[in-house]
Amino acid sequence: MQSGKLVTDQHRLNRRHFLECAGCGFGAVALQAMFAGMARSAEGPLALRKPHLVPRAKRVIFLFMAGGPSQLDLFVPKPRLVQYHGQRVGVTNLPRGIAVGTEKFLALGPAAEMVPRGDSGAMISNLMPHLAGVADELCFLHGMQVDNPAHDLATLQFNTGVVNEVRPSMGAWVSYGLGTENQNMPSYVSIHAGSDVRAHGSAFLPAAHQGTVIGSIPQDPKQSAIRYLNDPQTPQAAQRREIDFVQAMNRRLLKRVAEDRVMEGVMDSYELAFRMQAETPKLVDLSGESAETLNRYGVGEQPTDKNARACLLARRLCEVGVRFVQVTIGGWDHHGNIRDALPKSCAEADRPVAALIADLKARGLLEDTLVVWSGEFGRTPWSQDLSGTAPIETHGREHQPESFTAFLAGGGVKRGYSYGTTDEFGYQVIGGRVHIHDLHATILHLLGLDHERLTYRHAGRDYRLTDVYGNVVREILA
Amino acid sequence: MVKGMQTRIRSQLVCPLVLAALVLPTIASAGEADPLTPGQMAFFEQRVRPLLIERCYTCHSEAKKVNGGLRLDSRRGLIEGGDSGPAISPGKPEESLLIKAVRYQDTDLQMPPDGKLAAAELAVLEEWVRIGASDPRADTASSEKTDVNRAAARAHWAYQPLQQVAPPAVGDGQWPRGNVDRFVLAKLEVRGLHPSLDADRYLWLRRVSLDLTGLPPTRNEIQSFIDDHSPLAWEHVVDRLLASRDFGERSARPWLDLVGYADQIGSANNVPAEHAWRYRDYVIQAFRDDKPFDEFIREQLAGDLLTAQSIEQRQSQLTATGFLVLGNVNIVESDKLIMQMDLVDQQIEKVGKTFLGMTLNCARCHDHKFDPVTLRDYYGLAGIFSSTESTYKEQRGVWSSVTKSPLPETLEQFTQREAALRENAKKVAAVHEPRVTAEARLRELTPLVKAARENPTAAAPGAKSLADLEKEQAELTKSLATLEQQSWHLKYLEPSTPLAYSVKERAEIADAQLQVRGNPHVLGPAVPRGFVEVATHGSPPTIPADQSGRLQLANWLTGPASSLVARVTVNRIWQRLFGRGLVGSVDYFGVRGELPTHPELLDYLAGQFIRDGWSQKRLIRELVLSRTYRQRAEADDSSQVAITADPENRLLWRMSPRRLDAEMLRDAVLAVSGELKPCTGGPALAPEFIENVGGLNPTDVNPVSFSLSKFRDDQRNLRTIYLPVVRSSEQQGPAEVLNFFDFAQPARLAGDRPTTSVASQALYLLNGPLLKDAARKLAAKLLDDTTLTTDDGRFSVLYLRALGRPPATEESIAAREFFTNRDAPTTGADSGGTDPLAAWPRLIHALLTSNDFLFRL
Repeated sequence: MQSGKLVTDQHRLNRRHFLECAGCGFGAVALQAMFAGMARSAEGPLALRKPHLVPRAKRVIFLFMAGGPSQLDLFVPKPRLVQYHGQRVGVTNLPRGIAVGTEKFLALGPAAEMVPRGDSGAMISNLMPHLAGVADELCFLHGMQVDNPAHDLATLQFNTGVVNEVRPSMGAWVSYGLGTENQNMPSYVSIHAGSDVRAHGSAFLPAAHQGTVIGSIPQDPKQSAIRYLNDPQTPQAAQRREIDFVQAMNRRLLKRVAEDRVMEGVMDSYELAFRMQAETPKLVDLSGESAETLNRYGVGEQPTDKNARACLLARRLCEVGVRFVQVTIGGWDHHGNIRDALPKSCAEADRPVAALIADLKARGLLEDTLVVWSGEFGRTPWSQDLSGTAPIETHGREHQPESFTAFLAGGGVKRGYSYGTTDEFGYQVIGGRVHIHDLHATILHLLGLDHERLTYRHAGRDYRLTDVYGNVVREILA
Repeated sequence: MVKGMQTRIRSQLVCPLVLAALVLPTIASAGEADPLTPGQMAFFEQRVRPLLIERCYTCHSEAKKVNGGLRLDSRRGLIEGGDSGPAISPGKPEESLLIKAVRYQDTDLQMPPDGKLAAAELAVLEEWVRIGASDPRADTASSEKTDVNRAAARAHWAYQPLQQVAPPAVGDGQWPRGNVDRFVLAKLEVRGLHPSLDADRYLWLRRVSLDLTGLPPTRNEIQSFIDDHSPLAWEHVVDRLLASRDFGERSARPWLDLVGYADQIGSANNVPAEHAWRYRDYVIQAFRDDKPFDEFIREQLAGDLLTAQSIEQRQSQLTATGFLVLGNVNIVESDKLIMQMDLVDQQIEKVGKTFLGMTLNCARCHDHKFDPVTLRDYYGLAGIFSSTESTYKEQRGVWSSVTKSPLPETLEQFTQREAALRENAKKVAAVHEPRVTAEARLRELTPLVKAARENPTAAAPGAKSLADLEKEQAELTKSLATLEQQSWHLKYLEPSTPLAYSVKERAEIADAQLQVRGNPHVLGPAVPRGFVEVATHGSPPTIPADQSGRLQLANWLTGPASSLVARVTVNRIWQRLFGRGLVGSVDYFGVRGELPTHPELLDYLAGQFIRDGWSQKRLIRELVLSRTYRQRAEADDSSQVAITADPENRLLWRMSPRRLDAEMLRDAVLAVSGELKPCTGGPALAPEFIENVGGLNPTDVNPVSFSLSKFRDDQRNLRTIYLPVVRSSEQQGPAEVLNFFDFAQPARLAGDRPTTSVASQALYLLNGPLLKDAARKLAAKLLDDTTLTTDDGRFSVLYLRALGRPPATEESIAAREFFTNRDAPTTGADSGGTDPLAAWPRLIHALLTSNDFLFRL
């Protein structure tokens, strides 16, 4: 439908020519080559599109910290919380509802010390020593906000801008706005994505823009990273023969109906699928990386291995032209005993994330790659105790959409910079507020897309990622 | 996981100030100021106006944007203000919002956002307000301009009453089989185009079977149609298909797309919508019974308010109102007012889109930008739905739930339930007994363990060691926990009075108040409950003060608004049969929607639909028996002109091929392989498996949750419509196919799914289990069939089953070649070679991945 409109007449002429040739004795190999070439020059939904503005970044790696990491333990020291640790705090502007286990409003001091890092002096917890090493690359946003306190809905808003509807995700918008550089790969890949497909879906945008999920990165090259990427029972040659048989049928049918874009699309999709079967395992196979690189990320070691593979793959995907890579790193939902649990989560995530930033930098990729690190929300300054009887040292923290911390790196943002402040407890934003709509507007801006002009007509209305909101946060632009 | 309870309104929109009324009574006088003195004039023109233009107009002027509803390009704009109230209070800079904003006094409101004004500029504005904010600017008559636009929009075709249309005269009097064909042919003739030849019987039968039932024809059905030499052979087929249960199952699914149906409430925490299946079954039955569409509307909006002649009818009526609450209903929000108004908004969106082809919800915040829908229309409807109870607060944490009604039971149902209850009671007892025993033994053990720990050496001879005691204690504790889970589970499964998600009248019936920018905490005047004015022809029903108005809304839709409702409905049916609506934008008939390709035909069909008592089956019967529908999809030499003139086939010079949708694809694969099992409905979730239910502990703050860890054995063989639909994850288990083939995510209320072709679909078809299993099973059946003795015979049967037609000669040759000339065998059951057990599945798999199978021609 919509994608069909993008197909130009020239493209259709090419196709016609191709189909005629295909009818008169092209071998399978030549066919494949032609399909590949055509895919690259395609006017399809993933064709390269010119941005509105001069872009500062060409691609995005979104490191999504699912669960909501505690900004007050990691990046935002509040002396009041140390001073009043375990005592009731005089919070004003209380939320209308009080979550279970937080009704005592006991101030909870940080789980570990935060100290100034690098030349910028950004505060980073001792729990993240590796990140501290790249502190001067980072641009902190301490006044982040979303609108909902539930994981699923905040995650949805973080990814799509809205809570109660199905709208395209950020990666889908970026793919739609810019297209992709490598037609053999999807434009948007989500590694270790959560279960909610809407968070990486394309909604009403053409489906080619939806995130392709890599559920787990196989250690054994025979296992597949993308669902149904391979059929281990069928040898490649046998499958090729089957596809050839089917495509011959398809060509006969297409000739009979003379013209049908969806039929052509199905035929293309078989060829792309066949190429992906060959290309993807190579890309996902990390064994060609140097020992030093693997070591830097923490591949093959615990507890970093899973996230290390994901971060390293994110870099590799960027290198081959994937436009938007999302890496989900979970385990941040610390309702209880945050002092025990947070160090573990940091140990899993810190080294891979820092290695990714350093690696991008070393390869010159950080220049035009925007790295975004954030949870769907942050955590409260007061403690949460679900049992009602636990000592303060084993309390956790509740969700907090009112204020939290994200950081960016690379792709046109200020280096070693911090923006936004919260009140003395770290609850309300008192300056430099960045609502998720503003962050979306800013990400698009850095990619050369004007969030007010990146629209899609659906049901009679022009939709935007930022709905009717959003301001570019100019203060953080380099 | 515990959900937070903090709630906020969309804070960036709303300032902590009291807002002025949205509508106008006090404002006219404010706009009329005394003439300016030359001094005031000069000050404004030289100092103030340039500043406003340079720093404010980009975001706050008619010509550019009106952020926050605030315009600073007119006197009236400043005084009326925007969402946050008047921008200035003349003479009082300290009380003027504009001044506070430019001073960056308040962190929530700092203007201009890209940098504070210079001190001198700030001083100009302060001074200007202090001396009375004299402003010579004429007020651009924005409201008049809007009125003009609205008048033009009123003239839009969709809002006109149905025209009485007679079928046009045509040149080729031989071709049409009925009036539909005359309308279509007349358009083609005007453009110098010709209709295509009739499709052959095989193709037509597969087409009409898939369109009406979602299933391909069986071999027997094909044979009897080929053998039916009566001139009414086509009618026989259509009548058979319309009478089948499959017809209801096929027709219901698009309706569920519009409803946003799922077996999950909202999308947080996997809360099961355990009674939703009743609504799904109601819809299937309604289509199957050809329930008149006007009654279908009335039951879904106001079934609870209708009178019933029987217990079954009452069940249907109550269940039908699930229409209003089976969308993506948010039930976890501590601000219950916002939650309620978001649902009201969704209900208005649903009614607008489904029945009227209108996007009414734009008018939640402002008069519609291009359609003649006003805030008053919106809040008139909002009053109806806010006077309706759709959710209620649960006893758990911040959770609410969707309103349920107990259904009356027939004697038979009641007797069955009593029996089930007795069965359940037995199971409860079976769990209770060991639980009591285990608890008693644990009570004994506690002091023993304690004693043994304190004095490990003093154990009596023959007594158990500490280690043994501890082991027993641990095991008992564990089994007690399991028993406890089991008893909660049985309690949860207890066959109680059947319930349906169903709305009710609220105890308090009231008109809704206008909400500033859709914020329910910032209210304007009340708006009388009512309907959308522009769609009304004739006098709308009056809503009594003590009724919500849902019944009147239903009567309005099927009465004064019936022109639009009938057009939208007829168009949806057309779309399902021809692939594209006469109006392409099936959910949106508004000013920016697509124009009808055949407006006279649309009105003709809509008028006839109403006269035929809103019967969908009669309309469908007429359409599929038309010659227009009978055309081939294949082109021939003479088609070149038409392809060039009308490549999208909007004028219907042939039948457009269409790829099977996700449900059809899976159902057809199951049918072809002989694995499809009939079903009469019932619960999609399977809570009888304890691993599928979580949060059973009654003291848990979160509601019971479901998972789809285990499916019933027969679910793999049921039509896709009977499989569970989830909101917060991909579709699971046998419903997995939906994730790949454009299934409408169940919060997207949509009457039209896109048809995409992407690589993940190809991977699923090539490597996924659906086609592989089917191919294996069908191969076994073919080889087991003793009536088939040759491969050619098997080819013929296979093509009939899979593609609904015999193979063409060249296809037989190609198939034979693929079949015999295979690569060297490898290993395993699926190896190559000419082993028929391996070769047949591969050929069948190939056929099922071909476009001949994936499309209905």
